[in-house]
Amino acid sequence: MSVSGFRMAAMVAPALGALAMGAGAIAAQGGAPDTWWYPGSGKTFAASQDYPNAQGTLRVQVEGGAVKTRGHAFFEPLGANGRACVTCHQPADAMSLSAATAQQRWTASNGHDPLFAAIDGSNCPILPQDQRASHSLLLERGLFRVQLPWPMTAWNGRPVTPDFDIEVVRDPNGCNSAPGYGPKAGNISVYRRPRPVANMKYLLAVGFVFDPKQGFALPLSPEDGRMMSGNIMADNRAGTLRIQMQDAAHGHLQAGKPLTDAQVRQITDFEMRVFTAQQTDAHGNDLSSMGANGGPNHLRVSAPGALGAIGTPVWSEFAAWEKLSPEQAATLTPKQLEFRKSVARGARVFREKMFLITDSAGINSRIGFGNPVRNSCVFCHNMSQMGNDVAPGQVDLGTTTMPFADSMPDLPLFRITCRGRPHPHYGRVIYTMDPGFAMTSGKCADVGKITLQSMRGLSARAPFFSNGLARDLRGIVDYYDRRYSIGYTEQEKQDLVNLMSVL
Amino acid sequence: MLRSVLTLAALAAPLSAAAADTGSLLRFITCPVYRDADSGKKSGCWLAEDPATGIRYDVSLSPHKPDWNYAVLVEGRTTAQPETPCGAPVLDAVRTSRLYDIPCTRHILPAEGYPGRRFVLPRRNPQPTSVPAPSFAGPFVDRSFTVYFEFGNDFLVYQYSDWLIQQAYYWMLSAKPKKLIITGFAASAPETVSGRVMAEPADLALQRAQTVATTMARLLPGIAIETRADPSTTGTSDAEADGIPGQAQRRVEIRAVL
Repeated sequence: MSVSGFRMAAMVAPALGALAMGAGAIAAQGGAPDTWWYPGSGKTFAASQDYPNAQGTLRVQVEGGAVKTRGHAFFEPLGANGRACVTCHQPADAMSLSAATAQQRWTASNGHDPLFAAIDGSNCPILPQDQRASHSLLLERGLFRVQLPWPMTAWNGRPVTPDFDIEVVRDPNGCNSAPGYGPKAGNISVYRRPRPVANMKYLLAVGFVFDPKQGFALPLSPEDGRMMSGNIMADNRAGTLRIQMQDAAHGHLQAGKPLTDAQVRQITDFEMRVFTAQQTDAHGNDLSSMGANGGPNHLRVSAPGALGAIGTPVWSEFAAWEKLSPEQAATLTPKQLEFRKSVARGARVFREKMFLITDSAGINSRIGFGNPVRNSCVFCHNMSQMGNDVAPGQVDLGTTTMPFADSMPDLPLFRITCRGRPHPHYGRVIYTMDPGFAMTSGKCADVGKITLQSMRGLSARAPFFSNGLARDLRGIVDYYDRRYSIGYTEQEKQDLVNLMSVL
Repeated sequence: MLRSVLTLAALAAPLSAAAADTGSLLRFITCPVYRDADSGKKSGCWLAEDPATGIRYDVSLSPHKPDWNYAVLVEGRTTAQPETPCGAPVLDAVRTSRLYDIPCTRHILPAEGYPGRRFVLPRRNPQPTSVPAPSFAGPFVDRSFTVYFEFGNDFLVYQYSDWLIQQAYYWMLSAKPKKLIITGFAASAPETVSGRVMAEPADLALQRAQTVATTMARLLPGIAIETRADPSTTGTSDAEADGIPGQAQRRVEIRAVL
């Protein structure tokens, strides 16, 4: 498929989409409602929208009311491939994109949707673009190709001299060794999930002035002088929304020129107003009922950046369900009642189940918590309402790096050799599928570090972790259980899954 | 039951010879051992045996904890504190500096009835941004602040170095100095510890100064900063070094010039 082919598909698709949405209840192939937002559809983005998913209903709210999307920079195609920001940040997918949605789009468009643009919606542009197998990473793992400069540049554009060498060990897709690709050609391709653009006030919040994981005060925005949280991108290569947008416009939309100031302001305004969370569970329960505070409205009205340990405990939104009155319980079916109790237990397991965290840079080094250190999920996922880190920074859970990562033979594998001091946990030679933050900092000690994931709207946007390692919520729990030998009981695992399904 | 018996035994036992000699300064290098005590978050114990005496100490109160894969330089003072938390005589104040060039075989002991210590926020706990900065009344005069580091390292120690910097920052918000003179120090004079000659590289002094300068530039954008280095192994009597001479040498001084 050529770029012009994608443009054609982009022109046809909005018209079809507008017709379909105008018909009310719409069925895409497979009978599921067509919730896809086409670039340039011109629809109004309602102030509150509900989208069904397997675990219930996701709600998307916009503070300040509905948004007219005609001519809006978030919704209009801005580049050569016909994509808009909304292409990969779909409301039904909690402003991210699930692998299931990608599969639906492939089927519905015969692979012609701009989503599958060769630049990054394909395993590599050198592959035959009309074949499904050439897009397997997006279709199976929800991954987009991210081509990064080698050697790297910092978030402010300054060149960085890395303290490590990088070699390609495995390149199943060609984008790290074919002509024009790979470290010898001055670039490295990694594959990552799109991060949700919602609940941004929490992701941009700065709870402390220090980044204890890097051992400095937080860096300052070149735009407004404020401290930058570092929570925007997986590798923290963009410290502000403006930098991220320009990066995305060039790398994902194939925009021929930078976004204008007006476009940046318009997108920023929209992203800062969008909140999303699961609103009803699979049993039809309202997650903000019987004393609970689920759903996006609570996110919208709460103040960001609060440390749960000294204020509102993380996921205490569901604490009221620990002790439902007999009268309340009588209004629920046994399954509904047990589900609510399970969610409340899951919140406690999240906060209180202690385990030994070992050999994880950003936790066990260089910061002095000790290796190992005993703590729970809330050690890092500590911000009230949101579960991201009040003291932001990047952490290596091992999801991309051997020996901790699961086998993912469809991803490239790199050999990192530290030139100076060896990595404190991996040693001098490291095998990784994505160096993560090291591709921004240039430091061997940062290999495998990834920015913490947002925990809201999870039911709408599988798979999980930056490289899609966990296919579902249970996969997240199982990974942690293996990685840190936690020893969750089957009940605890299910409680955690149920908790995450309602966030 | 076992836990109760052990606890009672520990309470009844006479203080060890080391603990009875309270206030003595110890300095040794060893491989740390982790005791998997569980009284909630961060409650595990760190133990370190002085090779000269064969006494295993509880070094858990160090602000910067060991990594079980590497040796530590232990610097601490003996106490008469009960051994009940971790089953070993307690060093307090104490520092454990990770020595990444000395690998260790990781070893974990079971709790064996010892509870560890329930986590409490340390005194040197940086305040979140939601807490308003305290204001200081003038008149102000030039003032110095000191920040401390691990041996061989320029990394800001969590809930120690960062807290010290935050105190300086709070004062500077009121005093509004025109310039900061930031001087890094290094303990470069060789000393033999546990049979190993220990000396910090001289250029670490400047690295430490630059680390603190980077942070101060971010906290006080636009302020003039001059960095200096003094690798000549000098100490300070500042109380925040907790009476540990080695700690007093590994420092950065921030001179606020009005």
